[in-house]
Amino acid sequence: MFISFSWRRVAPYVLFLTVAATTGQASAAGSPGLKIVAANYPLAYFAERLAGARARVVLPVPTGADPAFWQPSAETVGEMQKADLILLNGAGYEKWLPQVSLPRLRLANTSLAFRNAYLRIENAVVHSHGPGGRHAHEGSAFTTWLDFDQAGKQAQAVADAIVRKRPEWKSVVTGNLKPLLDDLAGLDAEMKQTVAADFRRPLLASHPVYQYLARRYGLNLKSVHWEPDEMPPAAEWSALRDLRANHSARWMIWEAQPAREIAAKLKTMGIESVVFDPCANRPEDGDFLMVMKRNMEELKTAYR
Amino acid sequence: MQHDFYLAWRYLRHNKIRSLILAACLAMITALPQALHRLLDEAERWMSARAEATPLLVGAQGSAADLVLNALYFTDAPAFISMGEADRIAATSWADPLPVYARFRVRGLPLVGVTTDYFVFRGLAPAEGVLPALLGDCVLGAEAAERLKLAPGDVLPTTPENVFNLAGVHPLKLKVVGILAKSRAPDDRAVFVDLQTAWVIEGLGHGHETGPGAGWADAAFAPLSGDVSAYTEITPDNLASFHFHGDPADFPISAVIAVPRDVRSAALLRGRYPDSEAKTQIVRPLDVTRSLLQNIFRIGALFDAILLPLGAAALLMVALVFALSLRLRQREIETIHLIGCSPLTVVRLMAAEIALIALGAGTLGLVLVQAVRAGAAEFVRHFVIA
Amino acid sequence: MIQIEDLEFSYPGAEFRLAVPELRISHGEKIALIGASGAGKTTLLKLMAGIAVPQSGNVRVDGVPMRELTDRQRRNFRVSRIGFVFQELELLEYLNVLDNIVHTYRINRVLKLNGRVRERAAELAEAAGLMGKLKRMPRELSQGERQRVAVCRALLPEPGLILADEATGSLDPGNKSRILGLLFRMTERNGATLAAVTHDHELLPRFDRVIDLSAFRR
Repeated sequence: MFISFSWRRVAPYVLFLTVAATTGQASAAGSPGLKIVAANYPLAYFAERLAGARARVVLPVPTGADPAFWQPSAETVGEMQKADLILLNGAGYEKWLPQVSLPRLRLANTSLAFRNAYLRIENAVVHSHGPGGRHAHEGSAFTTWLDFDQAGKQAQAVADAIVRKRPEWKSVVTGNLKPLLDDLAGLDAEMKQTVAADFRRPLLASHPVYQYLARRYGLNLKSVHWEPDEMPPAAEWSALRDLRANHSARWMIWEAQPAREIAAKLKTMGIESVVFDPCANRPEDGDFLMVMKRNMEELKTAYR
Repeated sequence: MQHDFYLAWRYLRHNKIRSLILAACLAMITALPQALHRLLDEAERWMSARAEATPLLVGAQGSAADLVLNALYFTDAPAFISMGEADRIAATSWADPLPVYARFRVRGLPLVGVTTDYFVFRGLAPAEGVLPALLGDCVLGAEAAERLKLAPGDVLPTTPENVFNLAGVHPLKLKVVGILAKSRAPDDRAVFVDLQTAWVIEGLGHGHETGPGAGWADAAFAPLSGDVSAYTEITPDNLASFHFHGDPADFPISAVIAVPRDVRSAALLRGRYPDSEAKTQIVRPLDVTRSLLQNIFRIGALFDAILLPLGAAALLMVALVFALSLRLRQREIETIHLIGCSPLTVVRLMAAEIALIALGAGTLGLVLVQAVRAGAAEFVRHFVIA
Repeated sequence: MIQIEDLEFSYPGAEFRLAVPELRISHGEKIALIGASGAGKTTLLKLMAGIAVPQSGNVRVDGVPMRELTDRQRRNFRVSRIGFVFQELELLEYLNVLDNIVHTYRINRVLKLNGRVRERAAELAEAAGLMGKLKRMPRELSQGERQRVAVCRALLPEPGLILADEATGSLDPGNKSRILGLLFRMTERNGATLAAVTHDHELLPRFDRVIDLSAFRR
């Protein structure tokens, strides 16, 4: 009698909680989807992992183009204006930002949490020719996600931005964030372990895009400003020889596979090439994690 | 009675002009107070609606009325604050900040720098074309487009503030990309640019093109530095070169519209102002507008005080006209009296004439009041708040 | 038709005095009233019509003692039984010819304006040579035409007594004859009595009797 009386008192609460939970899930599932625009692929990847099928994630940069030097057209900006959320890398990555009109309330600067740790590039007006045409690396270094600890913070920022727009998705997003952070932490650990083999090993970078990678993992790295598919002029080769006088690197890190003749010429100088793709744009195959894992394997070659 | 009205109608028709003048005078006497009050009501409604739609406003310390008028109706800005104020409000998470920079005018119309959020907030959408997307784009309010006779694709040069100030505002060729749908609000009379475009006009940002192909800017006020030239027209070729010097948080704006998340957030935000240096203030536009409207109500009472004796004088004039008319018709009255018309019949005939004139005046007055009612909104928008 | 006995009348504050010991006018008689200016011709017509009331004496019209009636009764009697053609009785400029003719019917409730009355008005207008001008306004008519409209207005109620005061006063001989002819025709047709004041001695032979008021003024 006592038990049945208690059950009668408890049952309504159980029923309420069941209905509430079901409704919550149903409303999370039933909430209108989110249109998210990302300024680069790493942010797009994070958003896809966090929001899943609930969001339509758009990377407006054409395939093969470098998002850091991409300039959106008026039509593209018009489409971006319709997005619910626009994920920015920050650290000066979006050079087009001062030239376009976007809804400030829907912008999310994902690197704001570590803005005091941005790396300034001094004397950086360096012009080179390449697929993007004339460009310069100046201001702050912007490949922040190559520091996988910072990448985790950016992923957290993406999660916070999504939840601000869709509070009812909090549990789902939080649930998806943990494995993503774990993956990034795994990359971070693996990088540390790889470099730990020889902290002082001198390395060369074909392009000044590895600043955060170098800082986080203590790489002894110096950069030139070459493109993988453009044979550098003689003056550049000469400058490389001068650089190696005090920095006897035997490995050059490339954003993409260098042209055969470039690799061959480097080899004659005793420099091997490895690819560490920053993965700023969507890869032809695989995803951000796969690309980073491939990068890791390539880099390990330089540390054997 | 039908004969009374028939004869009255015949008389009034025979004396059309006199009858119309009398009816018009009476119509004006009755319609004018109603029309004026209608206009005042419309002004109150219109200003209150605009104020109600703007929860909180942050601006420079000083006249709250000037702040509200500038941010809501784009009148001359008394003072400016920095963009950092909008960032500070955003950082609290208590309200969404919408910066507004209503400093410039172009061909007599307000040139207002906003972010895209402003259009969403005010429910403004393009009827033609699109919203500004790139630096140098502008979108016109519906009335602004009519006045300037511009359409998407046209160019709108801004106006130099001071011909002799080489370091001052740079005229810029704006590209019209859209025309907003009519909103029956002050936004109809404005030219909107992105906030960053407004800062370019201010001279806080510019573009460059280096190399032998660089030429002088076609405007006389463009400064020179080395072998580069600052452009007054933003084109697809030079767009990427445009940049700003300095911290955008220090760039000027005239106000921030703060849209609080809830009542508690609003209270918390209001508690932050005035700031410790007393440079900024926060106001509730509705409170300021109500205070302004009190003055309008006083004007309304003044109208009544003036219209009452005026109306009485006009009625006396109308009565005098009637009396004089009766004197002129003395022989007619004698005639009809002699042929058998009673004194009461004469009174009935006069009463019928008065009734018909009153009916005409009433109809005309109704038409006038309806016309004012229909046009009150437009009139108030044009003449109450220019 | 009209019986006047020991009538004495004077205007308040004026020296004028009219005294008529006896005067009888029979039914259907056409009487011309003559006399010097100020003899009281118009006054006598007004006394017959009940517009003025004598201080003493009697005026009976169709046996009805006018002095014993109230103002309203005199007015109603006048409207239905007496027709006026006075020179100063103007047409109403804002009414057309037809409306002027039927005007009496609009301003007095004793008379009822209906289709039959309108037909009679048209007949009168035709007899007066005004057909085709019924929609014209008075300013579009000659003086003679205006006077004929006034005659039609007076005759429309088919009064038993017609009183005319200088009805042909300012007209040319042709029109005078025409107006008088109209009056006589209508009077004879309706069997009415006519008392007309005239200064025109050429017209006197057309009347049944001429009464000189000079004999009655004191």
